[in-house]
Amino acid sequence: MWLPAGLIVLAFISLYPIIYAVINSLKTEPQSTVNPFWFTNWPLQWSNFLIAFETIWHAFFTSAIITSVSVVGIIALASLSGYAFARIPFPAKNVLFMIIFGLLLVPGFLTLIPLFIEIKDFGLLDHDLGLILPYIAGGQAFAIFVFRSFFSGLPDEIFESAVMDGASDLTLYGRIVMPLSIPIMVTIAIINVVGIWGDYVLPSLVMNATGHRTLAVAIVSFEAPKFAPSLNVYNIELAAYLLASIPLLFLFSFLMKYFIQGMTSGSIKM
Amino acid sequence: MQPRGLTAALPETSARTVTHRRLVSGPNSSRRWVIGYLFILPTLVFVGVFSYYPAVKAMQGAFSNWNGFNPPVFVGLGNFVQMFQDPVFIASLWHVLIWTVVGIPLSLIPPFLVAEMIFHLGKARSQYVFRTMFIVPMVLPGFVGLLIWLFIYQPTGLLNQFLGAVGLGFLRHQWLADPHTALGALIGMGFPWIGAFQLLVLYAGLQAIPMEILDAAAVDGVGTWSRIRAIDIPMIRGQWKLLFILAIVSVPQNLIAPLILTDGGPGTATVTPVFYMYQTAIGYGLYGYGMAIAFLLFLVMMLLAIVNMKYIQSQPD
Repeated sequence: MWLPAGLIVLAFISLYPIIYAVINSLKTEPQSTVNPFWFTNWPLQWSNFLIAFETIWHAFFTSAIITSVSVVGIIALASLSGYAFARIPFPAKNVLFMIIFGLLLVPGFLTLIPLFIEIKDFGLLDHDLGLILPYIAGGQAFAIFVFRSFFSGLPDEIFESAVMDGASDLTLYGRIVMPLSIPIMVTIAIINVVGIWGDYVLPSLVMNATGHRTLAVAIVSFEAPKFAPSLNVYNIELAAYLLASIPLLFLFSFLMKYFIQGMTSGSIKM
Repeated sequence: MQPRGLTAALPETSARTVTHRRLVSGPNSSRRWVIGYLFILPTLVFVGVFSYYPAVKAMQGAFSNWNGFNPPVFVGLGNFVQMFQDPVFIASLWHVLIWTVVGIPLSLIPPFLVAEMIFHLGKARSQYVFRTMFIVPMVLPGFVGLLIWLFIYQPTGLLNQFLGAVGLGFLRHQWLADPHTALGALIGMGFPWIGAFQLLVLYAGLQAIPMEILDAAAVDGVGTWSRIRAIDIPMIRGQWKLLFILAIVSVPQNLIAPLILTDGGPGTATVTPVFYMYQTAIGYGLYGYGMAIAFLLFLVMMLLAIVNMKYIQSQPD
């Protein structure tokens, strides 16, 4: 009996920051000061969300484009490489794999400043590609590592008959490997969406023009009282935070099944 | 590889046909390695330009004096000598040491305990429900999670209001404004520290333990705690190894927390080496010095990761 009870308490505490944000995003500032823990005042302040949306919508769509293009790029490139490393023999394979895998040990902070300067030299500051291209590169190591380990685990028999029929590697990759890899693909996609959608440091350097920011940059610099007519600054900020979470919420609600399958398929270990 | 001259000597069309047929032919083709290289080529181009090139630049920069505009001037180990005479840098080393020593157990032990608790639930259905509940916090983007914790730590924020409401008002504190508590507040963010990723990986490991071993242990009357110690923990070594290395690599990288929440302050109370790198390079324009800090930290982390991999590999299977 104590197991489920303990888990419920722990889950509640883990979820409380979200609950807290939901409650207080629907209040006025004085109402939050009186009691931030629960709903006490009616009507709820839905207008907070409207004001928040007006302030961040441009950044929201900028981030949506950057994140989706980057993640599609990561999956496309990394699954091809993962297939090659898992199933095609070629010279210097292990060396090349270690070169890519070694990037897992190269921390983001080491390359942050030279990368920023490189993006600037390419003339990509304040341009979506200034983030998309580095994100595609940055996602390769982990994704290839997981794809390779998953593709190696696929039974040989499923390939054999197709090879008899003269299937090429591109056919094997597109017709056999990809359809069998949807859970692991979704898992890698989600991990990358979460990382890119929530990234702040690189965008704060690369996309800092007032008119064209990513969501993270826009929300962190949200504190400036641009929307002075309303007094509920703090509550509107919370509303903006929740709006920023909606894409991930959708993603998880539709793809949770695949995500758990992928994470628990045993490919994610060393 | 075919010499270029030979291909050129052949009539144009036939050369192309031959190449084409070989490229799309089946996995037993003698030229299959070409396909292998073509498949990994895009990856190599991307990581070459956007990962390896900046990494090389970072290492060059570490040994130079550079303001980001003029050509870098080679200064040998000058930056590193300067670093160890820099009290802010020395302080930042202490902060990251504390953060790592406290932060790694915090990122591994709570998810493991929860994974065990979920694993011990009888019904598959309730296992699924709880797993899902602990994954839900992942919908908060990283920066949003930080900003909500900023609210929680405010003088009139959730934590102080909670302390007041349960009669512990005397503990109320300016968590982020007091140099004695600011670093602890940053490390403690995310309470109760049940990371969804770690939880799922560890849980998957537990599920993969062969049923016969668990049954045999049950028959022998092995208690829960001894079973966890003697069977569960060693059986999921692959998962521990991955998570431990990821933690060693990620905990000291935490730049965004001091950047958004405290700006390294109050004073230098929450300056970490990575934050200091950012501050010296972006804030003060000392790119070479910043890169030297990053390089040193990178070497230390590599060393830790290698020691960890070696140590775990040498364990008998």
